[in-house]
Amino acid sequence: MNPIVCATGVDLLMDYLEGVISPDVQAALDEHVAGCARCAAFVASYRETPRILRDATATSLPADVEASLRAFLRSRTTAFRSR
Amino acid sequence: MVVPTAEPSDKALAAQAAAGDDSAFETIVERYQGRVFRLACRLTSDTDAPDVLQETFLQVHRHLASFRGDSQFSTWLYRIATNAALMHRRARQRRPGSSLEDFLPRFDSCGTHVATPAELQVASRADELLDRQFLAERAREALAQLPDLYRDAFVLRDLEEMSTADVARTLGVESATVRQRVHRARLMLRGYLSDLVGVKP
Repeated sequence: MNPIVCATGVDLLMDYLEGVISPDVQAALDEHVAGCARCAAFVASYRETPRILRDATATSLPADVEASLRAFLRSRTTAFRSR
Repeated sequence: MVVPTAEPSDKALAAQAAAGDDSAFETIVERYQGRVFRLACRLTSDTDAPDVLQETFLQVHRHLASFRGDSQFSTWLYRIATNAALMHRRARQRRPGSSLEDFLPRFDSCGTHVATPAELQVASRADELLDRQFLAERAREALAQLPDLYRDAFVLRDLEEMSTADVARTLGVESATVRQRVHRARLMLRGYLSDLVGVKP
């Protein structure tokens, strides 16, 4: 196996986090990240990215959209007739 | 053990609704409308999401009888919502191309990160460093700029927090393909967040 550098570590990062790589590659990655401040910082920001985007796009249903949905389903089905 | 106060399960409601019980269908709508709307916003746009929401529940109503109960009801409903969003998006001409490639990490000839640890770290604090409303608007733009295949996988896996296997089934691709697409999306979006706070990725 070729030695792990930052670029190969980045390529394998998703598989690494999902636990779908072989134990020896996993160990080699752990060793590289433990000794590489750049990769440690990169992994931290990579892991935070989904959460930041999730929070930033967590919209709630506006009341007018909900009312339109009710009216639409009333017109196309027998639901919401009594509400 | 029977818990009389428990909410009816999705499967029980689906069976009642399939048998023509309107109030069971209405409960399903109430239970899932918020999640479907949020998914639709993430896969299309705030403008298109109301149509996707309506189409989704119309399809759910029509196809309730075909829900077999061998998968989670939520997974089944999400698949319908995802397909409705993708159909809607396909009907609209998207502008081609994406500039998010610019935000991929850069390496020197030895394969070492070009950026410093501090520069590489900063994306993880984007939500502390940026105004909330500003970040929300930029996040919507960033999702819209992702290549569609990456966007779909990222939204379902990372924003809706479905399992990789469920995303694979929903999109009709292998799990390895989902991982590859989600990974590319994460790399682009990580660099995009970094750029937003003024640091080259």
